[in-house]
Amino acid sequence: MLMIRKSIVSALFCCVLAVSALAQGKAVTGKVSDENGAPISGVTVLIKGEKTGVNTDGTGSFTIPNASGKTLVFSAVGFESREVLANLANLQISLKTDTKSLSEVVVTGFGGSQIKRELTGNIARVRGKDIEYMPTPSVDQALQGKAAGVFVNAQSGKLGQAVTVRVRGNSSISANSQPLYVLDGVPITTNDQSSYGGDMNPLTDLNPNDIESIEVLKDASAGAIYGSRAANGVVLITTKRGKAGKTSVTFNVQTGYAEATKRIRMLNSQEYAELILEGAAYRDKLAGTPTTDPDSWTAYVKNDVMDYYSYGQWSKDPTKSYDWQDAVFQRAPYRQADLQIRGGTDKTKFFTSFQHLDQTGTIIGNNLQRSTGRLNLDQKANDWLDLGVSLSLSRTFNRRLPDDNAFSNPLQAIALMPMTPFTDPGTGLPAGTPPGDANIPLYYNPVLTVNYGKYTQDVYRTFGNTYLKAKLLPGLSFQTEFGMDYLSQNEEGYFRSETVRNQTTAVRGSGSNTGTFITNYNTNSYFTYNKTTDKHNLNATLGMQYQQSQAKYNSTSGQDFPSNSYQKIASAATKSGGSSSQTDFRFLSYFLRANYILMDKYIIAASGRIDASSRFGKEARQGFFPAVSAGWILTNEKFLDNSKYLSFLKLRASYGIVGNAEIGNFPQLGLFSGDAGYAGNAGQRPSQLPNDSLRWETTAQADIGFDFGLFNNRITGEIDYYQKQTTGLLLNVNIPTTTGFGSIIKNVGKLENSGFEFVLNTQNLVRAFKWSTNFNIAFNKGKVTDIQGQIIEGGVSSMNRVEEGYNVGVFFTPEFAGVDPNNGNALFYLNTKKADGTRDRTTTNIYSQAQRVVVGDPNPDMIFGITNNFSYKGFDMSVFFNGIQGNQNNIYGMGRYSSASMLYEDNNTADQLRRWRQPGDVTDIPQVRLFRVNGSQASSRYIVDGAYVRLRTLSFGYTLDSKTLARYKMDKIRVYVSGQNLLTFTKYPYWDPEVNADSFDSNIAKGNDFYTPPQPRTFLVGINVSL
Amino acid sequence: MKKSIYTNISKRASAILLLGILATGCEKRLDITPFQSIAADKALLSEGDVNVTLVGAYDGVQSASTYGGDIMVLNELIGNTTNINFTGTFAGLSDAYQTQMVSNNSFATGTWASAYNTINRCNNVLSAVDKITSSPARKNSVEGQALFLRASMYFELVRLYAKTIGDGDAASNPGVPLILKPTSGVTSADYPPRSSVKAVYDQVIADLIKAESLLPSTNTIYATKWAAAAQLSRVYLQLKNYTEAGNAANRVITGSGKTLNSDFAKLWFTFINNGGASPSEYLFSMVVTAQDGTNSMSTYFGRAIGSIPGTNGRSDCKIKAAHLAQYETGDVRKNFFVLSGGNYYTQKHLDRYGNVPIMRLAEMYLTRAEANFRNATSVGATPLADVNLIRQRAGLAPLATVTLDNITKERSLELAFEGLYLHDSKRLQQSVGSLAWNSPKLIFPIPQREMDVNKNLVQNTGY
Repeated sequence: MLMIRKSIVSALFCCVLAVSALAQGKAVTGKVSDENGAPISGVTVLIKGEKTGVNTDGTGSFTIPNASGKTLVFSAVGFESREVLANLANLQISLKTDTKSLSEVVVTGFGGSQIKRELTGNIARVRGKDIEYMPTPSVDQALQGKAAGVFVNAQSGKLGQAVTVRVRGNSSISANSQPLYVLDGVPITTNDQSSYGGDMNPLTDLNPNDIESIEVLKDASAGAIYGSRAANGVVLITTKRGKAGKTSVTFNVQTGYAEATKRIRMLNSQEYAELILEGAAYRDKLAGTPTTDPDSWTAYVKNDVMDYYSYGQWSKDPTKSYDWQDAVFQRAPYRQADLQIRGGTDKTKFFTSFQHLDQTGTIIGNNLQRSTGRLNLDQKANDWLDLGVSLSLSRTFNRRLPDDNAFSNPLQAIALMPMTPFTDPGTGLPAGTPPGDANIPLYYNPVLTVNYGKYTQDVYRTFGNTYLKAKLLPGLSFQTEFGMDYLSQNEEGYFRSETVRNQTTAVRGSGSNTGTFITNYNTNSYFTYNKTTDKHNLNATLGMQYQQSQAKYNSTSGQDFPSNSYQKIASAATKSGGSSSQTDFRFLSYFLRANYILMDKYIIAASGRIDASSRFGKEARQGFFPAVSAGWILTNEKFLDNSKYLSFLKLRASYGIVGNAEIGNFPQLGLFSGDAGYAGNAGQRPSQLPNDSLRWETTAQADIGFDFGLFNNRITGEIDYYQKQTTGLLLNVNIPTTTGFGSIIKNVGKLENSGFEFVLNTQNLVRAFKWSTNFNIAFNKGKVTDIQGQIIEGGVSSMNRVEEGYNVGVFFTPEFAGVDPNNGNALFYLNTKKADGTRDRTTTNIYSQAQRVVVGDPNPDMIFGITNNFSYKGFDMSVFFNGIQGNQNNIYGMGRYSSASMLYEDNNTADQLRRWRQPGDVTDIPQVRLFRVNGSQASSRYIVDGAYVRLRTLSFGYTLDSKTLARYKMDKIRVYVSGQNLLTFTKYPYWDPEVNADSFDSNIAKGNDFYTPPQPRTFLVGINVSL
Repeated sequence: MKKSIYTNISKRASAILLLGILATGCEKRLDITPFQSIAADKALLSEGDVNVTLVGAYDGVQSASTYGGDIMVLNELIGNTTNINFTGTFAGLSDAYQTQMVSNNSFATGTWASAYNTINRCNNVLSAVDKITSSPARKNSVEGQALFLRASMYFELVRLYAKTIGDGDAASNPGVPLILKPTSGVTSADYPPRSSVKAVYDQVIADLIKAESLLPSTNTIYATKWAAAAQLSRVYLQLKNYTEAGNAANRVITGSGKTLNSDFAKLWFTFINNGGASPSEYLFSMVVTAQDGTNSMSTYFGRAIGSIPGTNGRSDCKIKAAHLAQYETGDVRKNFFVLSGGNYYTQKHLDRYGNVPIMRLAEMYLTRAEANFRNATSVGATPLADVNLIRQRAGLAPLATVTLDNITKERSLELAFEGLYLHDSKRLQQSVGSLAWNSPKLIFPIPQREMDVNKNLVQNTGY
C-alpha cells in the first residue's frame, strides 16, 4: 500500500501528480534556471519511466528521492523539456525557452487546460505578451489580426467606443452576434451602457496589460461547455498570476501623440463658389431668369449664401478659405504608466498591477482616462486546499462625443462652407456663438458643443473572483468559484445656452445626470478528474454554473440654471425629466466534459451542457448542447515516427451544437408598459406580443483540420475548414403595424457560414539574428438561407438588407450607371427581371424605375494578420500588418450631402470638380443643379470598396545588456518607439475604411460611414524597466 | 497515515456537501418578471386599469408622428411651394414638399404605424369599458374618448393614404384597413385588406356621433363633446355634406360656451406665456410639457429667436413673402411672423413646449359660414356675421358683403400653417403647386414595409 514519508511530503507535496514509489537509491538535489540564469519555479521533475516527481520551488531548487543514477525528465510550461542523467548529487539544469506553439498550454474554460498538441477543438490563443502596451484602450481591439477567423472592426476613432467582433462570421440577424467574454471564469458585461452618443465598450474597464492569455473558442467542441451562449464564439481572458521565486517589478511608461489617419480633400472657397454658381446658373436658365436679376438663384447664392455665411467676407475676398477639418481635428497627446509586481513562495503567489492611462482624442472634445489596480492571489491553505482571489478595480473617465448623426458631431463641420471663418469677426468668438448671429454657419457649429458643453462618463468597475479548490482523492478535485462583475457608472451632461441652436433644450442651459448599476454575479462549481497511465490519459469535468445579472438605471435632467457656474440638477429651475428602471436575467447550467487520450495518439473528447434561462418561455427554456471531437496524432504512429521533415501531424474533427440567447430580457412575454403617461397623468400601453415557445437560436458546427510541425517544429501551422448552420434564428419578425405592433420575436429562419482558416508560425532565423513570422488568414462565406420572406433593413437610408442567398446586411439599392454625356443626367440601370431571369441593363434617369439589387457586402471575405519579429543582440523590431478584403462600405451618409452636385449648400468633396459641364463630357459626376436631385439618391454610387491593408503596429526597441544592469540590481531596461496605423493601403475615398457609424450600427447595419471619425495614427516612445 | 487520509476525506466531503446545498434551489430563480412592464393578461382587470389605458391612448395620439404635429406638418408641406420654402434636411419631409415621395418615405411609414398603434390602444380601452363601474357617466366618458381618438386617427389616415372624396367612387376606392378589436396575438386575420374609403368614413362618422353623445361638456385637458362635434364638422365638410358640417359647427359654437380670444397673438406661446395651459378657444389640443410630449410643428416650423426666450426649432419652414402679401394692411395676423436671418417664420409654432392645437373655435365659425353660404342658410348666424367676427378679431374692418372666395381666403389666412392646407385644397379642388387637386402625388404611399409584410394590401397609384 501507499507509504509516504511525512518529512518529504511536508516539503514537496505541492503538485505531486501521483505518489507511489518506494524508497530506493539516493536523493538528488539541484537547481533549474532559464537561459539567462534566472531560476524557474514549478518545473516538474520526474524519474523517467516512473511516476515519482517533484516540483521546483521559488528558487528553482528541487530534491528528488531515490533518483541517483536514473534519468530525470524536466518539464515546464513555456520551456523545452529536457532529460538529464542524475549522475551528480547536485545538478545545475538550464532549460531553453520553448518558442514552438505546439507545446503551449491552452485554457479551455472551467479550470480546464490542454496542451495545444492534444487539442481536438479549435481554440485560437493570443498571448498577453503579444498585445501588451498597445495604445488601444480595450482588449478586443488589440485582438485585431491576431487570431484567425476573428474579425475586429472598431466603430470609429472615438475613444472607448464599441467594437464589432465576429468569430467565423455573423451567426445571427436580430440577436447579438458578439462573442461571450469570460474573464477569469466570470461572464462579464460587455454590452453598451451609455445613454449619449454611440455605443460604448465596457471592456475598456479592463487593463489589457493584466492579461496573461486570451483564448477564442471558435468551434462547437471548444464552445459547447458554454452551451447556449457560445454560438458567436467565446473569448476566455485569463489574467496574470503570481509565480514562486524572485519578485519581479516591472515599470513601463510610454508617451506620444495621435493624429487622424487622413483628411478628406474638400472644395476651397473658390472651387465651392464655382460649383454653386454653376448650379444656380442652371436653375436660372431653367426658370428663364437672367443671372443678373436680383431675384435669380445666382443672386441668392451670392448674397444669401456665400456672403451671408461668411459675415460678408466673401464678396470682399473670395479667396479666403477655411478647411473646417482644421477646426475639429487635433494632435492628441497620449501617456500611460504601468507597474506590475509579480512573485511569491511555494504557498503564496501574487500578481499586482497598477495603470494610469490618459488618452486624448484626435477629434476635439474627446478624452479617456483610466486608472486600474489588480491583485491576483493564490494561497495553498494546506495539503488539500487551495484558495485564491482575482480582483481588479478600475475607474474609466470618458469625455464623450455625440453620435455621428448629430450636427454637434465635430466631423459634421466638414459640411460647412469653406468661406465661413472659424471666428465671428464681430465678436471674436467661434462662428455661431451668441450674441453673434447664431444662424451662421450653415449648420450648427460643433465647436460650440466642445467649448460650451460637456458630457462625461465615469465608470467604476470591479471584476472579482474567489475560488476554493479541494483535492478529494488522487486525481479528483473539486473547485468552487464565486465571481462578481460590478459596474457603476455615472454620466453627466451640461450644455450652456451658447449651444441653443442644436444642443441645449433650454434658454439658460440644460443638464442631465444618469446612473447605471449592474451587478452581475456568477458561481461555478465543478469536479475535475485526471487519470494518467502509460497508455491512457483521462480528464473529465462535471459541474454547474449559475449567473445572475441585475441592471438598475436612474436619470434626472433639468434646465434653466441661475448661471453657467451652476451645473448640477439641484440648481435647475425645471426638473425636466427623471426615471428609474431595472432589468434582470439569469442562467442556470450544468456541464460535463471528458477528454481521453490513448497511447498519445488517439484523442476523443465529448462535452455537453444543459442550459436554462429566464429569457425564454417556461416550456422552452431548457436546452441541451452536446459536442464531440476526435484527434489522431499521426506522427506518433510507427509509419511517420521517423519522418525526416514532418515533426508533428495531427488530424482532428469536431461537431457540436451551441446556442445564442442574446436577445434582451423578457422577449417571450406579452406585456403592457407603464410609460404611456400624458400631461402629468399616468398611463399604460400594450407594448409586446407574447411568444410562449420562444427558445434559443441554435448553431450546429462541424470543423475538420490538421495541425502540423515541420523541421523539428520550426514551422508549425493549422489548417481548418468549418461549416456553421444556424437554425431557429431569434428573429424580429415584422408584422403589419395595423396590429399596433411592429414585430414579434420568433424562432424563424436559417443562415450558414463556412470557411477556411490557415495559421503559420515560422522561426525563419534562430541564431544571433532572430526572425520569426506569425501569419493567419481566414476566408468566410456567410449566407442567409431562409428568412421566410421577411424584409429586414437597416443602416443609412435602409440600404443594408437581409436577403436570402446573401450574407447578412448586404447593400441593396439601385445601381448607378454613370452620367449621360448628352445632358449631364445621372443614370441608373433598370435591373428589372426579364422573362429569362436576366436583368434589363437599360439605363434610365428616372430613379424610381430602377430596381434595387445587391451591390455590395460590408462583411469581408478574407481577413488576415501577419507579424514579423526580428531581434539581434539587444535590438528588436516588430512589424504587424492586418487587412480585410472583399467588403464594401456605404458613404451615402455624408455622400448625399457632400458628394451630391449641390443638392444642398454643404461643402463638397473635391471629386465633384470633375462634374459634367457640357454635352460630350464623359465623367462619373453628374451636372451640378442647385437644390435639385441629380444622382444624389441612394445608389451603388455611394457603395465603395472598403478593403484595406494596414501597418497596424511597427515597434523598434533596444534592451540594455543584462550584465551591465546586474551591477545596478536591475533585470532589464528596454527603450522603444512604436507606431500604430502608420500606413493604410486602401481605395476608400473618405477618411477611414474601418468604420461602423454608431448612429446606425446593428447586426445588419455594418460598413456605414456617417461623418464617422477615423482611426488614430499614434506615435509612442516608451521605456520598460524590470527590477 | 490511513486514518489521516480518511479524516481529510470526510472533512472535504462535508465541505462539498455545504457547497452542494448552496448550489441547489436555483431552478425557481429563473422565474423572474420585468420591472417596467406587466403581463398583458393582467393589465386590464379593473376600472383603474382602463383609466390608465385611456391615458395611454392620449399618449399615443400625442406621438410626434400623429397629433404631436407631423400630420399637420405634412398637410402643410405637401406641395405648398407657394407659401413655404422648405430647407430642411429630413429626406422624408423634403420629398413630401417636392411631391416626389417614395414608398418607404419615413414620415409616411411613421405616421401609419403610430396611428395604428394608437388605434390598438383605443381598442384595448373599448374592449374593457365594462370594467368601469363607478358611474355610468364615467363609463360613457371613457368610451366616448376612446371612440373620438380612434375616429380621429382613422379620419387622418383615410385622408392621407387614400383618394379624396370626389375623386372616383368612395365606395370602391381603397381606404385603409379597419381594425376595431385589440390585438393579443398574430393570426391570419391580422393581415387585413384595405376597407373602402366609404367604409372608413362610415366608421368615423358612427364613432364620432356616438362619442359626441357619450362625452361630457367639460373634461379638463381631455376630449369633450365639442371636440367630437368639431371633428365631425371637419369630416362632413370633407364629404361636402355642408348641412351636417354646419350643424356640427353650430353645435360647438352655441353649446360649448366658448368665445374667440380677443387677442389673436395670445392664442400661441402656451408654455412661454400661458403657464402651459391652452387658451379657451382651443377645442382640442395636445398638451406638451418640458417632461412629456413633443410639438413637432415647432420642430420644423420653429426657430430659436434670440428676442423670444424659449423658442426653438430647426428653421426648416421659411414663409415666403408671397404668403405675407396675401394679408390686408393692418391685419394683426400679418404681423405674426418674425424676420430672422433674412427669412420669415410663423410665430404660431415658435414655442418649443407649446401645446399643439388640433381644432379651435375660429375654424368652427369659418366652417359654419361656408356651410351656410353654400346652402344659402343662416344656421346660427349669417355667413357675413361669422366672417366679420374673425376679421374684427384680426383688426380688420368688417365686410359689407361676403363671397365664397372671401370665406375660403379668410379660412386659409386664419388657419394658415395649422395643418389644413392639403385637405382644404383637395376639398376645394384647387391645384396644389403645379399638380391637380386629385394628383396621386398628393396621396401618401402605403408604407413599403406594410406592402412587404401584408400581401392583402394594394399600393396607391404611382408608388
